[in-house]
Amino acid sequence: MADVTITAPTAAAAVEPLPPPRPSARLSRRGLERLDLMLLSVEALDLNGGEAMVWMASQLGFGSLFPNRVELWKRRCYNPLRLACRRGELSEAETDALISLLCAMAERLYPMLRQLLSASEPEAATQQRWQLFRSRLDELVRERLNPRRGGVQKLLDPQDGPRLQRQLVQGLAFGTGRGGFDRLKASLMDAAA
Amino acid sequence: MKLSYRFEQTSCRLRIDGLPDLSAGHGPEVIGILSGWEMDLAGHPTLEGKRDHLQALLAVVLPYARHLVSSVPRPVGAASDPVQMEPIAAPRAGLPNRPSHRLRLHSSQPDTQPLELSFDDAELADLVRCLDQLRLDPRVQLGLTLPPDRPLLRREILERVPKRQRLAAPAAGLAALAITAAIGLMVPLPRRTASPATSPPASPTSPLTPPR
Repeated sequence: MADVTITAPTAAAAVEPLPPPRPSARLSRRGLERLDLMLLSVEALDLNGGEAMVWMASQLGFGSLFPNRVELWKRRCYNPLRLACRRGELSEAETDALISLLCAMAERLYPMLRQLLSASEPEAATQQRWQLFRSRLDELVRERLNPRRGGVQKLLDPQDGPRLQRQLVQGLAFGTGRGGFDRLKASLMDAAA
Repeated sequence: MKLSYRFEQTSCRLRIDGLPDLSAGHGPEVIGILSGWEMDLAGHPTLEGKRDHLQALLAVVLPYARHLVSSVPRPVGAASDPVQMEPIAAPRAGLPNRPSHRLRLHSSQPDTQPLELSFDDAELADLVRCLDQLRLDPRVQLGLTLPPDRPLLRREILERVPKRQRLAAPAAGLAALAITAAIGLMVPLPRRTASPATSPPASPTSPLTPPR
């Protein structure tokens, strides 16, 4: 009985929704860069990723924000590494929509992400999967990003590239699940190093 | 009426048992009082415990995962805490998948060695998803509250860059300054002439004649 009286107030407090603190909820240029690179990784993992994103956006109720591929592409061009880079900042509603979209896509691809990161898969198969992912991502990066930017050169570098690509896949894997959105959003809002 | 819920992922299975806390106004489907939990992790012994253990596990694993998303893995939990998590240093900067996270659980029983479990990224992701499911399930109202995820500060991110690399540029700058100063000191000062006013005052020797 004592348990009941003790747990009651804490349990009642947990029912109330806790509004997360939002000092400045806009993403920095660096955050937008990482967000777009993660979306690019999703496209590298899913051959039909571009179409799937538009479909997923309408499923999530962002049909008015991203009605077609062009609108989605325009938002993603705020990534400073893009060839067709746009200046300015995105509103919080737009970045939240992009992050939700990313989380939903990552959730769909979770079995693939898991295979890439698992140590219990056969080594040869893992190598092959990484090889395929890297070649597709490199292709997308060469096609869409500005090769003169240091960040892009690092991503394509045979020394640094694999480490950065692994970080992107790790970020995607930990951005899935029910708490993934908050984790990923907080990470994209990190201070610049 | 005893309730039991299961949360499952590929390598992690969590079962919680409990009762609705009717005095807190919970419905009959909601677990408000935890009587026990059990977690099966692939390749590891089964874990079980009380509410405090579950809270301690959540308070360590989820912040650890939060740092991992930002690619700044760091140990979470002090040595005296019941649960600790830390990254396992790579023997070399190789990329093959390997167990790279260590979870250390201190038993509340006396004279028991702490239990160490190591996970690779995929197993940790499974565990995190499982704990997220538990934490955010409306049918579970155990008051397992965690501080909200927050952006990392510049100081925390800087740890990502190795110290040697971070200090290389300022050290090179200081060395360059020291070398320049040393060379500057070696150059002799120009010797002063005896008196500066020895030169005769300038005087016109011949008057200028205007040209015709």
